[in-house]
Amino acid sequence: MLFEFAVIGGILLGIYYALFAMGLNVVFGAQRIINLAHGDIVVLGGYAAWELYETAHVSPIIAAVVVLPFAIALGFLVHRYLTPRLTRSSDPETLSLILFFGLSQVIEAAASLIFGPNEHSLPTSALPVSSLHLFGESYPGIWWVAVLVSIPMLAVFLWLLYRTPFGLRVRAVMSSASEAATAGIESRLVSGLFFGIGFGLAAAAGTMGIFIFGGIAPTDGVALTITAFAIIVFGSLGNPVGTVIAALIFGVVTQLAQVYAPSWSNLVPYALVILTMLLRPQGLLGRRQRVA
Amino acid sequence: MLEVESVESGYGSVQILWGVELSVQENEVHVLLGANGAGKSTLLKVLVGLLPCWAGSVHMDKEDVTRLSAPARTKAGLGFTSEVGIFPDLSVEDNLRLSSLVVPAAQRKDAIEAAYSRFAELRGRRRALAGGLSGGQRKLVAIARALVSRPKVLLLDEPSAGLSPRYVSEVVERLAELRGTTTLLVAEQNVSFLEIADTVSVLEGGRVRFSGSKDSFGNDTVLRDAFFGLE
Repeated sequence: MLFEFAVIGGILLGIYYALFAMGLNVVFGAQRIINLAHGDIVVLGGYAAWELYETAHVSPIIAAVVVLPFAIALGFLVHRYLTPRLTRSSDPETLSLILFFGLSQVIEAAASLIFGPNEHSLPTSALPVSSLHLFGESYPGIWWVAVLVSIPMLAVFLWLLYRTPFGLRVRAVMSSASEAATAGIESRLVSGLFFGIGFGLAAAAGTMGIFIFGGIAPTDGVALTITAFAIIVFGSLGNPVGTVIAALIFGVVTQLAQVYAPSWSNLVPYALVILTMLLRPQGLLGRRQRVA
Repeated sequence: MLEVESVESGYGSVQILWGVELSVQENEVHVLLGANGAGKSTLLKVLVGLLPCWAGSVHMDKEDVTRLSAPARTKAGLGFTSEVGIFPDLSVEDNLRLSSLVVPAAQRKDAIEAAYSRFAELRGRRRALAGGLSGGQRKLVAIARALVSRPKVLLLDEPSAGLSPRYVSEVVERLAELRGTTTLLVAEQNVSFLEIADTVSVLEGGRVRFSGSKDSFGNDTVLRDAFFGLE
């Protein structure tokens, strides 16, 4: 029974992890940089849910939608005003790590000043839902609520990316920005919007994260970024479908570890990155391009 | 159709092009020859707006496009096929659909269908990733992609790059089919492309050393021997 609990619970959490990690992959796809502030955007989403509930009793489910436009705008502005300096530099990758580490520290410091250093959490009454009973096992209500929030958001995101002219333009820019420019695409505008969507997904994940992670604190950002990074590397960088599959596997493996070897479960993200690098550096869905 | 006047440009502080002059008439095939490092790709990047023009001007169909962005030039009718020329992570169909976005919505299907009719072998590979095709097929996708956008002028950068001689002949044949219907500027170091040329320019050290008809190029034995060892 423990095994079934771990697998089903892992799948439920895995769907949430897909939303949680997708934003990082989106930002990578838009600009070929690792957003070291990803976890801090998730934390900001958590604080937004907390603030909205505490001041106006807004449900965290509604908060997940409310934070989207603000986080997208923040991401768009970061892309517009911070990343141009990266693209002009001779070593944009290294510079981007420094820049986004700095942004992470600024967000962390600002969150500490505004909300204080202690952990914030919301009472379970903020999401008055019952547990999920499946195959004789009981799962926390927040798990299936997180799934109900994550699936529509991921579905809309994937529809946008794979079924609309905007998504086609985005995928072209992700493939080659200069080639896209000569195909009539305003690459900077398109990648800026996509970059913003990455921030939006991260913040939306944060509104559920305040429950899933048992609360949020200003210093949580780094650990969250590492977990998201492990998932997108495992699924293959820049591949959204890979992120979904990797997140499901990550969820199941983490739950199995928590059931059978709880003291080792925190090592799962790190082990996943190392194993991916050793066995399949291009990730689950990565492929090598034909050269002739 | 395309007038290039006294163009100067380069990378950073390094000047590559020195007062380049070029003129391509409507429905003419102009082959721009030059060795590696002569400045062909740099010139094409300036013409499509990927590199800034430091001095001089570029006119297309009598419109000054010198200060337009690369996407704006594409929408104005300047097509470009780089050495890569495709989006490897997109399917063949998506490559064509993407280029069709610059033509009016009502004409997009027809534009894509016309490309499949011209390059029939691509129809069966429409769902395949462009990056997974052979080098020759990728080149056909690149040319088809450029044609879908219905350009007034199509610039091709080294269409023979990375191709075996058999595929080079095929690309030459396919470009020959466009003669008389499309204005082409082909930047190449492979002299096979002289076969389809109406006019020829030779670039050396970022300067135009020769410009004229294919016949006058053929008669200039000193130039032919010096640059290309042609007999």
